[in-house]
Amino acid sequence: MSFFANIFGKKESSASVARDRLKVVLAHERASNALPYMEDMKAEIMEVIKKYTKVKDIHISTQSNQNIDVLEMEIILK
Amino acid sequence: MSIVITVTSGKGGVGKSTTLANIAVGMADEGKKVVAVDFDIGLRNLDMLLGLENRIVYNVIDVMEGKCNLTQALINDKHSKNLFFLPASQTNDKNVLNKQKVKELLETLKKEFDIILIDSPAGIEGGFEHAIAYADRALIISTPDVSSVRDADRVIGIIDAKSEKAHKGEEVEKYVIINRIKPELVERGDMLTTEDVLNILALPLIGIVPDCEKVISSTNMGEPIIRDLKAESGEAYRHISRRILGEEVEYLDLSVKKVSLKGFFHEFFC
Repeated sequence: MSFFANIFGKKESSASVARDRLKVVLAHERASNALPYMEDMKAEIMEVIKKYTKVKDIHISTQSNQNIDVLEMEIILK
Repeated sequence: MSIVITVTSGKGGVGKSTTLANIAVGMADEGKKVVAVDFDIGLRNLDMLLGLENRIVYNVIDVMEGKCNLTQALINDKHSKNLFFLPASQTNDKNVLNKQKVKELLETLKKEFDIILIDSPAGIEGGFEHAIAYADRALIISTPDVSSVRDADRVIGIIDAKSEKAHKGEEVEKYVIINRIKPELVERGDMLTTEDVLNILALPLIGIVPDCEKVISSTNMGEPIIRDLKAESGEAYRHISRRILGEEVEYLDLSVKKVSLKGFFHEFFC
């Protein structure tokens, strides 16, 4: 913090702004990236379903409600 | 017992290959038999950093496809008999790597070398997967800026998903190297501190490297800076090499020591 900045009470340092912005962004991204195995899992589930019925596509999404993490799966049949 | 160490980063251009070249030399100088393997297929770079670009005949893909044998492709370093280099191919075919062949190559290398260092491509696409699949350890390089740290976090999140070791229930040891720290900026509050970065990434530190102009000229010359005994960054790389080999080495003091006239005026008027 420079001399004049100290005198005139300049706002917080750019590094602390960077730190706070990163924390917010990463908290969000980590939640959406919590299941890195997703693609593999999707492929395997698809294989299993194919054995019994005709499947076109699978959509999996994650949601967090307070303390409950929900995995939603939508199976679209042919 | 030999170990496979993958050097990686989320963002490109943060000094991944430079770091790898330097710690490869560092560990070879500590007496280990080291091989540096460039897995950045299509974008060959490590050869120039090691100053070995004129000696390449075969590359890592040639070895995996059986077009030559390993000893034909391995290039010995100019200065160290302990250090060998296996160059990347320059093919545009991104699908040329194959997990089974990567595994076989690493098993062969393990018989001859103590340390196998893999230079991974930046990012999270195909090549990264192969570079990390059989790693015992991962060194994640980040500079102290928002985009580099953010991308590092993302890569850290998927290392275990791509690792064979993690699939077997073990964990890849992960460490952070913070590169290009500018002590004046940190002191002024204009650059994330080492603590900031570690807090965010939540991983142990294995090295801090100060930003150093000498790195540019040493890269120009193809002589890793670690061999420059006067450079502070070279010192940092020597420390990292020793830490990887299990030694406890104190971290460099990167606080601003000397108050130069220029620095003083800068401080006053900026």
